[in-house]
Formats: sequence, C-alpha cells, structure tokens
Amino acid sequence: MEQDAQLVQQCLQGDGPAWEELVRRHTRRIYNICYRFTGNGAEAEDLSQDVFLRVYRTLASYRSAHGGFATWVTSVTRNLLIDHYRRTKRDRITDSLDDAMPVVENKQSSARRPDELALLGELSNQVQAALLKLSPELREAVILRDLQQLEYGEIQLTLEIPEGTVKSRINRGRIELARILQQMGVRPS
Amino acid sequence: MTTNWTCEQTESRLIDYLDGLLQPAELAAFHGHAQTCDRCAPLISSVTGVLTNLHALPELDTPPQLIYSILDKTLGPRDTVAGWAVVLAWFRHFSLPRLAYGTASLAITFLILATASGFSWRKPKMADLSPASVFHNADRQAHLVYARGTKFVSDLRVVYEIQSRLRQDNELPSANEETIPQSAPGNKTPGSTDGTDPTVPKQQNRANDSQKNQQVLAVTLVPVAVIPSFAIFSSALCTRRNP
Repeated sequence: MEQDAQLVQQCLQGDGPAWEELVRRHTRRIYNICYRFTGNGAEAEDLSQDVFLRVYRTLASYRSAHGGFATWVTSVTRNLLIDHYRRTKRDRITDSLDDAMPVVENKQSSARRPDELALLGELSNQVQAALLKLSPELREAVILRDLQQLEYGEIQLTLEIPEGTVKSRINRGRIELARILQQMGVRPS
Repeated sequence: MTTNWTCEQTESRLIDYLDGLLQPAELAAFHGHAQTCDRCAPLISSVTGVLTNLHALPELDTPPQLIYSILDKTLGPRDTVAGWAVVLAWFRHFSLPRLAYGTASLAITFLILATASGFSWRKPKMADLSPASVFHNADRQAHLVYARGTKFVSDLRVVYEIQSRLRQDNELPSANEETIPQSAPGNKTPGSTDGTDPTVPKQQNRANDSQKNQQVLAVTLVPVAVIPSFAIFSSALCTRRNP
C-alpha cells in the first residue's frame, strides 16, 4: 500500500513509468471485478479502461488518509459498474443471458482429469450465471467479499455504507445465490 | 442452557457462523436450532456449498492488449521505432556501466576458458568446442602441467642435495687436517713406530694437497622466464686445483 502511495506521488510529478507500474499492478483485479459483475469479457475490458482513465484524470484527488489506493480504485470501479448497469438495464430485459456469457476460462490445476476440468468449467459458468441474476447491490457485495476477499472495513469504504449493511447484503446475497442455484438444479459442492 | 433460536436469527447470523465469529453459547443455540429445523438445515448446507463454489471460481487473466490500450488512452500512443534506430536502441542498453562491465567480464571468462580448453584462435574449428574435445584437451593440459610440476620439484630436490654435499665437502678439509698423521709413511725407520693406533684406518693426505686436481660434477639451475612452473638444467664441470 505504501508503494502505491509512492507511485501515485511520482505520477503526479509526471513520471510515466510510475503510472505504467500502477496500471500493471491493479489491472487484473479490476478486470476480474468488472467481468464477474457484467459477465461479458468485452464489456469488462471497456469498463476497465474507463476505470483507469477516470483514475488517471482524478489522481490528484486521491488522499491516502481515506484508505489505500486499491480501495479507492475499487470504489471508482464500483461506481462505474453501477452507472453501466443502470445505463444497460433496458437492454438486459430483452437480451438473452446466454448471449452475454462467454466461456469462462478454466484456470484449475493441470493435475485434474479432463472430466473434472469440464465439470469445474460448467460449474463456474453456472455460478457466474447465478451471480448475474442477483440485484446489483447484493452482487457487488458478494463479489467484493467472496471473490476479491476484501475485509468488511474495505468494503464499507468502497461502497460507502455502514459495516452492518455490508454484512447484511453479503448474507442476503449468498442466500439468494443458493436459492437461484437450487432452482437451476445445481448441487452445492 | 441452550436458548432456542428462531429461523430469522439463524438466517441473520449465518454470516457470523460461516466466519467463525459466534460465541460458544450462540454456536450451541445455532446448532440446536439447525438440527431441529427442516428449513434452516438445508439453507445452511446450501449457503456453505455456494461459498465453496464462489471460492473455487478461477481468477481470470488480463487480456494481453488491455494494459497497452489503457496506457495508450492515458499516456498517449507510444512512438514506434523502426529500421536502424531499433538496432541502435538495442545497443544503447550496453552503455549502462553495470551491463557493460558484466558483458566484458563474461567475454573475458569465455576467452580464458576457451584458451584453457585448447581452442586454437589462429585456426578455429567448431569441432574444438564440442564437449568431448574440450574434455580431452582439458585433461591433456592438466596432465602436462602436473607432469612438469612434478619434474620441477624433483629436479629442485636433486639440486638441493648436490649443493648440500658440496657444502659438506667444503667443510671437510679443516677437520681432516687435525687427524692427518705428522710423519709420512716413507720416513719411518726400522723398529720405530709413529705412535698411532694400528687399528684406526689411516687418513690419506690428499686433502692436504690443495693444488691437487679434483673433478666433480655439479649442476646449476638456470631459471627460464617462460612459465613460472618450468625450468631447464645445464651441466657444468668445475675443477678444484690443488697446488
């Protein structure tokens, strides 16, 4: 975290390689958040670019006293995702979910058997599909806690809601997710 | 005493249960209700399974062009270099002192190893760099050096022994003069004795004659300034003249 703050200072002084280092450090995490929220690779790429573009333009407004740089970037990401969700809400009503769902790359260990890998890939797709059926408030809470492994305090800063509300949304999101998967006929592991 | 929880309590505290944050009394009440409730038991099981599935979701790799497109949009498109500028840019990296020093050290090490392994710089052949040739040449060089070293050491020992004997011989005349009998054998008169013990062997009086010629073989060591471990020897006759 301290290294991020140092890089931000260097960026503000016009250091291009420092900005490149910041981008390389955080791109993968931001891309994963965007992908899990949208379920679409192309949209996740576009949103990731928009996130870093906004971060680059508003870098001077970052204050380390308000949390780490990663938390601030995650907050920017979340705001853009909500804006994107509201903007595309009308389109989602008519589009089929299957069209928006690319095949999830299976990154499991190569030591697994092919049939196990296929099962895991199918399960990942089903869990991703169930995530997309959650409301955006519950979806973002579950993604940040259970996929990004953020602490409740970090999620509180990112979503700008009380910690009690954070835990409540995560709990309801998990329960709702379990109900959706049960309806889809997916047996829990 | 176990307090019976309601389904709402069980559902609302499910997150604390999964995080392991329930107190012992609360945990007992939670389990107590879950074991008896037909709704909560499957709920707990399914949410636990969902958590496992979520944790098993793989983290995706970033698309390769994403970082570059982000940098292009923020820092601007990068200048592309073509032609000889690419080659010059590559060589410019060697202007760094550390890299230049490392490259020079590596080149010198290679030169030394190649020379030691028998590679001929006047008539270079790729066959000399084969592992079998390198081993053969290195083995031959090692044996040569060892043999020459051994010979040098043995020659040094011979020289030292001869010099020691010469030194001993130079010290003998002063000691022998005291034991030489005063009268020559030819001067004896019949019936007289020279007073010496007939059982002690008589010293010959050659050492008394300092001008007597004597030939001994001596060697001298002449160092050769080629390679410090080598030496050549020359023989010389030296004579001692006695008056």
